[in-house]
Amino acid sequence: MSAQGSVKGWPVTDKGEPATLIGALASNAAEVPTRIGFREREYGIWREWNWVQVLDDVLALAAGFEMLGLTPGRALTVVGDNRATIYFSMLAANVLRAFSSPVFPDVPVSEFQMYVRFGAPDIALAEDQEQVDKLLDLREKTGHPATIVYDDPRGMAAYTQTGLIALSEVQARGRARLKAEPGLAADLVARAQPEDIAVLLYSSGTTGTPKGIPLRHRNVVGGIANAKAGGYFKEGERLFAYLPTAWVGDFVFTLGAGTILRSTINIPERQETALHDLREVAPTFYLAAPRAWDNMLTRVQVGIADSTPLKRRLYEYFIPRAIDLERRRLKGQPITMGDRINDWLGNILIYAPIKDYLGLSHAERAYTGGEAMGEDTFLFFRALGIKLKQFYGQTETCALSAAQVEGSVQINTVGRAMPGVEVRIDDSGEILIRSASVFEGYADNPEATAEALTPDGWLRTGDAGYLEPDGDLVVLGRVSELVQTAGGDRFIPNFIENRLKFSPYIRNVAIVGADRDHLTAIICIDYEATGYWAEQRSISYSSYADLSQRSEVLDLIAGEIVKVNELQPAPLRIRRIVNLHKDFDADDGEITRTRKLRRKVIEKNYAVLVNALYDGSSTVMFDATISYEDGRQGSLRRDLNIREV
Amino acid sequence: MFFRKAGISHTRYQDERQLWPLPIDRYAVVAVLVLMIAAPFLVDRLYVVSYLLPLIIWSTAALGLNFLMGGAGQIHLGYGAVIGIGAYTSVHMMRAGVPLEISMIGGGVLAAMVGIVFGATALRVKGLYLAMATLAMQYIVDFVIIQFPSISGGTQASLSVPPVTFLGFAVEGDKAPYYVALFICAIVTLFMLNVRRTSLGRALAAVREKDYAASIIGVDPFRYKLLAFWVSSFIGGLMGSVLAVCFYRAISPDQFHLDLSIQLVAMVIVGGLGSVLGVYFGVALILFAPIVLNQLIGAISEQFGLSITNDLRAHLPLMLYGGLIMGFLLIEPLGLAKIYGNIRNYFLVWPFRHSRQ
Repeated sequence: MSAQGSVKGWPVTDKGEPATLIGALASNAAEVPTRIGFREREYGIWREWNWVQVLDDVLALAAGFEMLGLTPGRALTVVGDNRATIYFSMLAANVLRAFSSPVFPDVPVSEFQMYVRFGAPDIALAEDQEQVDKLLDLREKTGHPATIVYDDPRGMAAYTQTGLIALSEVQARGRARLKAEPGLAADLVARAQPEDIAVLLYSSGTTGTPKGIPLRHRNVVGGIANAKAGGYFKEGERLFAYLPTAWVGDFVFTLGAGTILRSTINIPERQETALHDLREVAPTFYLAAPRAWDNMLTRVQVGIADSTPLKRRLYEYFIPRAIDLERRRLKGQPITMGDRINDWLGNILIYAPIKDYLGLSHAERAYTGGEAMGEDTFLFFRALGIKLKQFYGQTETCALSAAQVEGSVQINTVGRAMPGVEVRIDDSGEILIRSASVFEGYADNPEATAEALTPDGWLRTGDAGYLEPDGDLVVLGRVSELVQTAGGDRFIPNFIENRLKFSPYIRNVAIVGADRDHLTAIICIDYEATGYWAEQRSISYSSYADLSQRSEVLDLIAGEIVKVNELQPAPLRIRRIVNLHKDFDADDGEITRTRKLRRKVIEKNYAVLVNALYDGSSTVMFDATISYEDGRQGSLRRDLNIREV
Repeated sequence: MFFRKAGISHTRYQDERQLWPLPIDRYAVVAVLVLMIAAPFLVDRLYVVSYLLPLIIWSTAALGLNFLMGGAGQIHLGYGAVIGIGAYTSVHMMRAGVPLEISMIGGGVLAAMVGIVFGATALRVKGLYLAMATLAMQYIVDFVIIQFPSISGGTQASLSVPPVTFLGFAVEGDKAPYYVALFICAIVTLFMLNVRRTSLGRALAAVREKDYAASIIGVDPFRYKLLAFWVSSFIGGLMGSVLAVCFYRAISPDQFHLDLSIQLVAMVIVGGLGSVLGVYFGVALILFAPIVLNQLIGAISEQFGLSITNDLRAHLPLMLYGGLIMGFLLIEPLGLAKIYGNIRNYFLVWPFRHSRQ
């Protein structure tokens, strides 16, 4: 054990726990010195750092970065994939009361400038030659960063530009300095304060220039304490660090929670080997975006489709039953002895091998968040026995606001507010959050800060939602998309539409109901899936239009509507539907090229239809104008059936 | 279905190359070892003496032959003679008062020395011609043993093994010989499992695939072919001595004739060339299939009162036995080891068809 392991003197919270990431790191080195803190796969084997070694490396890097001129309150631009040394450097910046500002590695040079606006970054850490090239281009344009530190020396030998230095060299210099100045280590450990900025992240920037979001040690430590109190995080987890470092999820869930809760952070060899390495790690805590879970499900399904008959049949026997069982379990319906035996057998034959294959057999805590997740995917993984849960949070709240609790998991909610987090819905339907993890304002942007934070410390999330009677939070969408029925009930058409589109039979749908008494829907069936469904049942049809008006198909779609209606509050249930004779088409201007609905155009084109949906008639004659691809216009008269739900 | 791979990671390359990387394989190996050690206390002595002991001894001997045939790709039709040399050498040494341990090694060394003389022909001839050369060895050795009364102890005579001790334990009764054989078997098995991971094993594999290609990449076929014959014959000689002490107790020339050689070759081929596990399967099939079939047919004919003539009753098991061997080799020319490997892979990638990452 080195001399630093016994160093104390970091700031603590009122509970006596370390109040900064650096304090947590130092306390790990002092109290669990031999526990493995980081593992990184390198040339096929895992290299390990225990907490003493982590602290040694971080302090050496800090001493080195200080020699390069990293001063308190300045940003260290970090760009690259997940690497242990990059994480160490991020902590080293914190040691010096500076902060890291991670940038997505795929940001092109032209956009890079947007991500170096705050904290006057003059030192940048690049993972490899590719990122160094970008930073050199950036320096040509803006004059900064003066110093570029690179982690991977491959391909760097020929570079003669000034201000280039290898990270190992920074560390070696720091180590020499630590040796020469005996009191330095103790001094470094005690520097960081809870009020210091721990990391500077950027908002997604879908609605303009990304805003800088500084998160302080206080926020991160507080948020993780909340999540721990709620049982969402545990001490001593095995984490898998594969998320982009510039995403709040990686900083808080991996580096932050890993350090504070003494977990082992496992870093894959490369992005391409992440799936393989995941299986070697078998993490106990796993966070992935809904899209990643969807991909995982697809991988399994493709593998099964290609599998041998016995294995495939077993899968096809057990999985639908497991999903059905999970659905009933979530609804609180009784489970029979037969179900249990079936589930036990299924686990041995199918679920456990699939979990093992995915590397999730030990994943006690599995999370998803960021956007809505399809029910099929959600139920599939829960049916396998992976207790997948949704969480809700913004970068502004360290992503730690609410999460589902085992026992009251519902697909349409994002769960309850974590302990220590207050959630309130204001009069306009916006979700407001107050918690220790809420940030203090955007970097150099008082107007945006004033907009986002109320004077008494509530964060305006910009999300619309409501609280269910049992305290579960339902997030509907962005406040800007909110509309009202004539009865004054607020809803977001897009939210309901997305939920309907999770059905394989519905390709497009437009919800009508703004300033009306109730909701109705114009539906475009999915020709392939519905056609296949019809063929299976010997229902004949000649075309899309013909198929869409079959009463069996209307029944099928009505059934899908009923399912979604179950999750809707009573006044916001869809009452009447009509199947359109064609799909919405970008050529007709009904959807954009990226398949987003153009509501105005639809309401104008189908005004006759909308009126019929509300006047109680059971069929409507519709003159459809058709624009051919050569620009000519034609017209077609159709009888469309309207169905009550 | 039974195999779990999640969470297996290594911090050193040595760990990655271990013999059994999957925990379930290690459990299986330990379970089999424990069962073999406990067997004399669990089952009747008849089963130990007439089933388990021969299985162990012939498996070990077949491993020695497999080293040559599967490892180095050299055919040997005179392996029975090699075992005979070892048996006679060690029994003579023991009768002269040399301890068993040294006699075993002595038997192995002499067998190895005679073995490489004939093995040297492998440097010039291959395939069928090598088969003829080794067949010649079989006959020459048989001839020498029978014609020299000082070796065989006279015509029609058998040499009995004097009371001996192995590492301080008296080799007598039923259990002691079993454990001696098991001990030797374990050592030889470990050697065979590991030799493939050494430079010797890789050099032999190179010679096996193409000897002049091997010499181009710097592997001397002369040296490695002789080495293969030496090692293989040494194990054969050693097993001759184990066979004499633990199983036969008294040896006579007819125990080491051509049929033994052929049977060993059959064991290796049915089991799977180059496979350690396969050898055990092959030996079990060759040894037990006739017995099991015989009893099965006996039971069936009694049960259903079938009137089978004595001739047919004697020959039917043999016909089925032959059919069985042909059947297995038709299904999978690479032997029982490959069949086992296929089944294992089927479960290893469960519930998918391939290993996919």
